[in-house]
Amino acid sequence: MRKQLQQQIERLKTAGASYVDARWYPVEETEHLMMWNGNLKNAAASRESGVGIRVLYQGAWGFSASSDAANLTALFNKALDNARVAAQRCTFPVHLAEKAPVHGSFSSPNRIDPFSIPLADKVGFMKALDERLNRPGVSQRVCELSFTRKQIVYLDSEGSEIEKRIIDLFPSMQVMGLDSHGETHGRKFSPTLAGATRGWETIDPALFNAQAERIVQEMNEVRVAETCPTDMRSAILLPGIMYLQTHETIGHALELDRILGYELAYAGGSFVTLDDFGTLRYGSPKLTVRADATLPNSPGSFGYDDDGVPAQDNLLIDQGLLVGAINGRQMVAEANARAGKTLFPGSSGANRATAFYRAPIERMTNINIDPGNDGSLDEIVRNTEKGIILDGDKSWSIGSNREQFHFAVDIGWLVEDGAVTRVVKNATYRGETVPFYHSLSAVGDRSTWELLSVNNCGKGQPNQIMQLGHGVPVCRFDQVTIGE
Amino acid sequence: MKEQILQTLHDLRSYALEKQIDAAFFLHEEESCLMRCANSAISLNTNEQLLRLEITAYEGRKRASFELITALGNMEEMQQGVDRAAEMVKHAQPLDYQPTMPAFSETCSDESGFDADLAGITNAARLEFFNQAVAGLEADEITLSGIFSSGVTTLAQISTCSEHCQYFKTTDAQISIVLSHVTYKWELLAEQSARQATDLDPSALHCDLAFLLEQYQQDTPCQLALGRYDVVFGSAAIAELLDIMNYIGFDGGSMKRGFSFISEDQVGQKVLSNRFTLIDDPTCLDTFPFQRDFMGMPRTPFPIFANGVFRSFTWSQDDADEFGTAPTGHTVMHKSLVLAGGNTQVSTLKELVDLPHSNDLLYIPSLHYLNIVNPSTGLITASSRFGALLLTKDGSVVVPYNVRITQSLLDIFGNRLAWLSQAQVVNNTSSSYGARNPTAIVVPAFVQVNDLEISHTNASY
Repeated sequence: MRKQLQQQIERLKTAGASYVDARWYPVEETEHLMMWNGNLKNAAASRESGVGIRVLYQGAWGFSASSDAANLTALFNKALDNARVAAQRCTFPVHLAEKAPVHGSFSSPNRIDPFSIPLADKVGFMKALDERLNRPGVSQRVCELSFTRKQIVYLDSEGSEIEKRIIDLFPSMQVMGLDSHGETHGRKFSPTLAGATRGWETIDPALFNAQAERIVQEMNEVRVAETCPTDMRSAILLPGIMYLQTHETIGHALELDRILGYELAYAGGSFVTLDDFGTLRYGSPKLTVRADATLPNSPGSFGYDDDGVPAQDNLLIDQGLLVGAINGRQMVAEANARAGKTLFPGSSGANRATAFYRAPIERMTNINIDPGNDGSLDEIVRNTEKGIILDGDKSWSIGSNREQFHFAVDIGWLVEDGAVTRVVKNATYRGETVPFYHSLSAVGDRSTWELLSVNNCGKGQPNQIMQLGHGVPVCRFDQVTIGE
Repeated sequence: MKEQILQTLHDLRSYALEKQIDAAFFLHEEESCLMRCANSAISLNTNEQLLRLEITAYEGRKRASFELITALGNMEEMQQGVDRAAEMVKHAQPLDYQPTMPAFSETCSDESGFDADLAGITNAARLEFFNQAVAGLEADEITLSGIFSSGVTTLAQISTCSEHCQYFKTTDAQISIVLSHVTYKWELLAEQSARQATDLDPSALHCDLAFLLEQYQQDTPCQLALGRYDVVFGSAAIAELLDIMNYIGFDGGSMKRGFSFISEDQVGQKVLSNRFTLIDDPTCLDTFPFQRDFMGMPRTPFPIFANGVFRSFTWSQDDADEFGTAPTGHTVMHKSLVLAGGNTQVSTLKELVDLPHSNDLLYIPSLHYLNIVNPSTGLITASSRFGALLLTKDGSVVVPYNVRITQSLLDIFGNRLAWLSQAQVVNNTSSSYGARNPTAIVVPAFVQVNDLEISHTNASY
């Protein structure tokens, strides 16, 4: 197959393509188990294989994919034909950032392949967990296990050949209950990505058992709590919501394709302009953010992106100053030309596709906030006069240029004079991105830092779901509007 | 191709019967094309040909499924999939209810939604559509974005319960065209949905965009004051609100699980404005309907709200099995929602601007990033996007920056619902996540809701 793909790549080069790459998925497997109130509602597995071809012709992209690899010539021809038509409407011909040919391989570290675990064992784990969640006050219990295992062979016309074997695992549990008004409240748990691997060995039943007790207890506290007041307070975001804040208002805002206007028809743009790099104070000096695809244990780490660029660890925001973007090879030349200077030296290794049948686009890797020097959660609370601790993503809505946002969370704890006073329900907060990050007044130390995964980041047309990670500490923001 | 698909299903059925496996087969084939524009260029031009086969095995109260993305001729791999599903179901855990297997009592074939001309539309035609839709409207600072997504979707089903099968084939196209300003960052949108080639009309999009462009080029954007406004929603916004109501309103399973703002005892009660009549209408071809659901149940027009009175929850087979009720023909990939029009004679944005009004009207054509804040109260939040206008009571038109609305669907479609336009339009709500599933909702072109609070206003786009 590799030889056939290479021959087709060469053929299209001869036919006038300036660049060709092929991503062949010999196999991608998934397994999804969902137990809802003790019922195994979903016991599903999948297996897919196919080829995706990307062609650059006179600076325009064409893409073609099929699950039937029997006629590669037609598939490659289709991609070239698509690119030829695209070249008829081309305003800034794509010029890929430089990359030396890469011959490499990547295997995500894992000790136990989750697909090697018998289904009965997985169901048994979920059943035991479900029973532990089945407590007074709980009306809905949801346990989920999702696994993916894929092999990707990448070849391009510049001589690169890469093989990746990636396993990812996404476990979670959630409880819901009704308050006296019949309103539903929930609490959920997904484990922090700890350790150096990402296989079945990362599932620790003892941890899940302990967390099951916690989320039931907290959900029951919310059920009987008063409604979150409408107020202006310091908001102390725990990692369970800070990861999403980071995702929506830093990660997406710094994707270079969005900044250049390539997502305007769907996901939206970004308030960030090219002039902002090196000049915009995105937040307070306590804010340092990086895109780190080198962490071993996260779905945001993949060895090489789908341009064949090796994984990197790059600063995005350095002590409040915007310094970097999330980009692949295809946006660099255009961004630098539009800026009139070299803003981006090359690809940051962040071009990824969700499947063989989608073309790669700029995606987040692990967008992490560095831990700070403001101590533990307890210390931050002690130093907060009037605040609210917030945790658990319930709802998120962000402006089309990522300039403002509204989040609802699972639980809030009011803080008065350095101490937690009471739990509140229906807690929300909103803000404007840059003023919000300028109000960042405390960043927790390493003890508060957690790496969490995202299994469902949507972007692009045709739409793509991507998996990635966020490592974040506890963060406190001042003068935040809550309860609206 | 149809014969090959049906023969494949019959062969798989025979294989399962030989092995004494109770199984249902769901085949989805798509040929998808998507031309995407950005910065006035075609930024991506794609073509995907994919065949998915989902095999669900049953064993008493146990159920497990295995899905393949494969090629039609790969019978050996498909048979392995049957074996895999059968193996999985052995180790699955019994449900506390009896799941119903699809058992088709007669063979059904519906290709009424297929149009050969739309299926055969070329790259050149798509490009020409874009060129015509924005002819003369682009400028150095005003650039084109958008998609022309079209395709053919084939669904076919069989189960070991009977030799009858179901076959559906449809074509669709979804076009959205955005003109945006490079510096000011405003965005204007015009959309079109098509089920046949004759539905394609670039001049209609050109007309909409030209009118909006005129407003946006003549005025300086402003930040609106916070407060309460009479809001006119455009068709895209209305469709999105109905789409979310489908999830947290009248879906029976969601209601039983605590994700609905409507309770069981509200069936037959007045819940929304008497102007609000919503129906699931599979006879409306514009909605890419299913004439039968995936259990073989014939689908007929199904009233959901009649003059504000809540008529019925919709029930998929699995939810009906679990909660001990009767299914309503809603085991489908999407419903065919139609919101009845009202009496107000306004069908275009120009007519809306000219419509006499005693208060300022805030026109919101589209909602961005709508999400559910509290399903139990129907509370949602979203920002305006794509060409909002403030139509002042003195007759002038002001271009506002985007605003945020955080409101309950009970308020939006309740007593604050002032009027609905008589004219209806088809709003294509398809996404291209996962398997192709063309979806559209028929809605009034405009709906006015009075006294809605704007909780945030942008100082820029």
